[in-house]
Amino acid sequence: MGEIPEKHVGEAGHHKQRESSTMGLPDQVGNVARRTMEELAEDICASQGKSKFSLGPLEKVYVFWLAGMSCDGCTVSVSGATEPALEDLLTGSIPGVPLVVLHHYVLQLESGDHYIQTLINAEQGKLDGPYVLVYEGSIPDENLTVGGEPFAGEGSLPLWAPSDERRRVSTAEWMKRLGPGAAASIAIGTCATWGGIPAAYGNITGSMSLMDWMGKDYRSALGLPVINIPGCAPVGDNFTDAVQAILLFLQGLGPLPEFDELGRPAWQFSETVHTHCVRAGFYEEGTFAKEYGDKECLVEIGCWGPVVNCNITEKGAISHMGGCMNSGAPCIGCTMPGFPDKFSPFYKAPPGSLVSSNASRLLGSVVRNLRRISQRERNREIRWHDTVPSGWAMERGGTSLTHKILEVFYEAMQFQGGKAPERDPQKKFPTGYQSLPDRVYTKDYQQLPEDRVLKTEKRV
Amino acid sequence: MCFKNLPVEFDAQGNAHLKGGVVDPYAYKPREIKRDKLEELLARNGHIKDVSISPVTRVAGALSFHAVADLQERKFLEANSVATIFRGYEVILKGRDPRDAIYISSRACGVCGGVHSTAACEAIEMAFGISPPPLGTVLRNLALALDFLYDHPLHLFLLAGPDYSQVVVQATSPAMWEKATRTEAPNAEVHQFKTIGDIMKGLNPLSGKLYLDGLKMTRTPREAYSVLFGKYPHPQTVVPGGMSSTVTITDFNETYTRLQKMIDWTKRMILLWDDLTEFFYEYNPEYKKVGARAANMIDLGMWDDENSYDASYARCNEWGEKRSVIDGQLVTTKLQQLNLGLEEFVEHSYYEDWNQNGKQRFATDPSGAPLSPNHPWNKETLPKPSKESWKDRYTWDTAPRWDRQVVEAGCYARIWTTAAAGLMPKNEFLESTGHSLKFHMPKTMLRAMDFEWKIPTLWNAFERNRARAYCMGYNLMVAYTMVLKAFDLLRKGEDKVSTKFEVPMGERIGVGFWGAGRGYLSHHLTLDKGAITNYQIVTPSTFNASPKDPFGNPGPYEEAVLNTPILEDFDKPSDFTGVDMLRAIRSFDPCMPCTTHIYGGEREIVREVNTCACSAEG
Ligand code: SF4
Ligand code: SF4
Repeated sequence: MGEIPEKHVGEAGHHKQRESSTMGLPDQVGNVARRTMEELAEDICASQGKSKFSLGPLEKVYVFWLAGMSCDGCTVSVSGATEPALEDLLTGSIPGVPLVVLHHYVLQLESGDHYIQTLINAEQGKLDGPYVLVYEGSIPDENLTVGGEPFAGEGSLPLWAPSDERRRVSTAEWMKRLGPGAAASIAIGTCATWGGIPAAYGNITGSMSLMDWMGKDYRSALGLPVINIPGCAPVGDNFTDAVQAILLFLQGLGPLPEFDELGRPAWQFSETVHTHCVRAGFYEEGTFAKEYGDKECLVEIGCWGPVVNCNITEKGAISHMGGCMNSGAPCIGCTMPGFPDKFSPFYKAPPGSLVSSNASRLLGSVVRNLRRISQRERNREIRWHDTVPSGWAMERGGTSLTHKILEVFYEAMQFQGGKAPERDPQKKFPTGYQSLPDRVYTKDYQQLPEDRVLKTEKRV
Repeated sequence: MCFKNLPVEFDAQGNAHLKGGVVDPYAYKPREIKRDKLEELLARNGHIKDVSISPVTRVAGALSFHAVADLQERKFLEANSVATIFRGYEVILKGRDPRDAIYISSRACGVCGGVHSTAACEAIEMAFGISPPPLGTVLRNLALALDFLYDHPLHLFLLAGPDYSQVVVQATSPAMWEKATRTEAPNAEVHQFKTIGDIMKGLNPLSGKLYLDGLKMTRTPREAYSVLFGKYPHPQTVVPGGMSSTVTITDFNETYTRLQKMIDWTKRMILLWDDLTEFFYEYNPEYKKVGARAANMIDLGMWDDENSYDASYARCNEWGEKRSVIDGQLVTTKLQQLNLGLEEFVEHSYYEDWNQNGKQRFATDPSGAPLSPNHPWNKETLPKPSKESWKDRYTWDTAPRWDRQVVEAGCYARIWTTAAAGLMPKNEFLESTGHSLKFHMPKTMLRAMDFEWKIPTLWNAFERNRARAYCMGYNLMVAYTMVLKAFDLLRKGEDKVSTKFEVPMGERIGVGFWGAGRGYLSHHLTLDKGAITNYQIVTPSTFNASPKDPFGNPGPYEEAVLNTPILEDFDKPSDFTGVDMLRAIRSFDPCMPCTTHIYGGEREIVREVNTCACSAEG
């Protein structure tokens, strides 16, 4: 993602291009550009020109983003996505990927009835392309609000009517009206995929996940159950990555994107976050953080990573950077159906870790020590036998007996099944080179005074 | 004297007590909203227009707005700000381990993705009697500054910006667009946009350079944030007693390089917003009235001094002054007074009054000062979804007031108060003079530059946006200072980021004073037997989006719209777009997720049934 070129090729604002579809509507309140964002996107596409040949049957896909009990965190995450980046999807700038016309309340140019009009067009089958629904946040049980204001409302109907004749429409109702005609329904974020925080114990809005709400039998127009991209907040790139994968498949270009038994993109969520964790090595060697801020494995201060399906340690949080454990945050299982109640109280070591972390402590103490010996040997040039010519620390050149024995075994194994090359380990440099101090002081060079030898021994 | 309306006095030692001789000191009689004349006008007249905007887009979360416009007189007669979402978060917190409050309350808002966790932590720390080590505090400050640094470009270029873009200006005021293309931008040499028209073109959604660069600039601070704190929003690195980040030199270096990039860009953006603002004022001075209201503001300050902050209520005035606190006319810088003056009202919201339930939970704060029954520590909100009525109840937001006055929150409230108070400890980069805020931005690709944000004599939509641009520079230099402080602590070997703690079992009370991208944020918490007994969040948009209060004062968005003249061009009433009013609303950068997290008590929700019901069974 480099800098934007000084002159961006696609440009909106050529009003003369085409009459806006909004001109015939009863009023213009909220239509501040007297033109929809969709029309702007199309103007941009038009100004980019056409490729010589088509890369698939789809030219344009509508995405309606609806929010229920949400914090907008999922939206914020997706705005940070760069693989692919939101702006590239929205301007049709990725070859083979159709123009994504996103209808999102946080980004939309037009407000009010002009915003809602497109939803109505979709319901009536008047759009010139398929549409996808994205739901963020959990769905409240609007039966509790019958006759009153819904818990989560978006827009009011009938359009163009005076305020006292209108009623607020819940986003659940939009879901119900648009769900059957959608090419696909995507739940984004843990609230929408599994209920999340608004559906935790004690909730009074009857909140639930999209899957719970739509039921087992829901199928989109393309025959798909609800697609789930969990995380609280999700990794923004997981969303755009999945969208691009699906679109490229539909265009006949990309491979079949697979989904797991809970409707998650399998290529993103089939491993535990622990497998790719930057601290997994500490776990393996049985070393654990005791306090916040320590660098070791976080399992004993509350990390659930080993049992959580998530890819943040590998994918990063944004632009391949960050990630919970990467920075020192224990995993609280925010991508999981059991979140939050099966993971709280947070900050407590997961009960299961008692067995596993102690087991790895036991095994780790052996493995770790063997590794350190081996590591130490590999931190030596083949030329360094007794002395190490480093000015950085007082390194003891010699090796202990166990060390030497281990190295004999190591070497035997290294060349097992083949022939060990003939080398003279005593010959430091093939040319017979001697460093200046070596030449001057011969063997006495680096002979440390006694107290320093003691100190060094203590340190090593 | 700090309070004008509340029945509270202070003695010579500064201790607060109730005024003598008043029987029911906090009682009041709610004023009715009269609308008959308006309804008559609406029924009769073609140029009186009922304006319903649902949803208002380019704000975070679910906001609707209703207004009555007089298109002949070109002004607004009525304005109602409507929050259309309710989530009930705090009841989910009740009975839980207090530490859970950090992660659960964080989900109140994903726009300012880490501020709630910190506010919750501060409340917990007060209740537990612990505080973070210096590096922990510095890291929190840095997190907050980075949070803002993503938030400001988001507001300036993606949410509010498009209202000043070519496509909008051309559609609503063609003559202005003409003039803009011919007007040279005074600071073009720095920001590289030759004419005002070029700036407007840059602001075009999806294709403008400013729009696209702005979007990218929201990512840069989030990258640094994710490196240091894991992810954005909802980092898990905020813990009671400090932070859990494992900080390395690389983390700070990666942050440092991102700050450098932002410094370069911000220098240009500040001057660009200056140019745009002045152009509107010059084109038509009436624009100075768009979104205007008196500068009554509230802020709690933030950026704790790592050597003063000890999370205690007893000393909150001292560590608070090391922050940059104040109400509009610089009434007080004392956090305790800010706390005592706070009340929430629900007369025009979909909630029942909790005071009918009997006894007030706390008559005083921990220091013995009198507390209103409407104070968050006493509040218990009982949701009651009912039908929208402009005379009665019309929003899920409540009406928080300070000393029964309407106050506005915002990042500009913070710089305003910081500038006016002149209390901020000065350093090489930042200085508050009592009437302005100065900051120095070091040399990057662009030359070193000095900026000064002077307290404006006007307060309106343009000044809000301009202040936002200046805030970016200011916050950037705060972030920069924090990185230097962190380096300094590391050099001294003070690398501890957290303190150990145990969950206390007795009855405890705590409050976290912090700030969100849009300003004021407090979490009030009560604990008993190691579990949460009450939890209340007051956020900036709770103030700003609030409905009328029982004293008849409209909330800040409402007031700003009522003061907005209608300046756009239109031939017939049906061509009216409402762009001026939308500019006024968006200048506050509404953020509804925060606003409507408010919780319900243990009562069941009253279910009213009437005819125009939409059933939403699934
Ligand atoms: S899943 Fe998390 S980030 Fe997304 S809306 Fe819910 S609380 Fe916010
Ligand atoms: S590592 Fe854990 S807490 Fe972090 S994003 Fe993944 S599931 Fe959520």
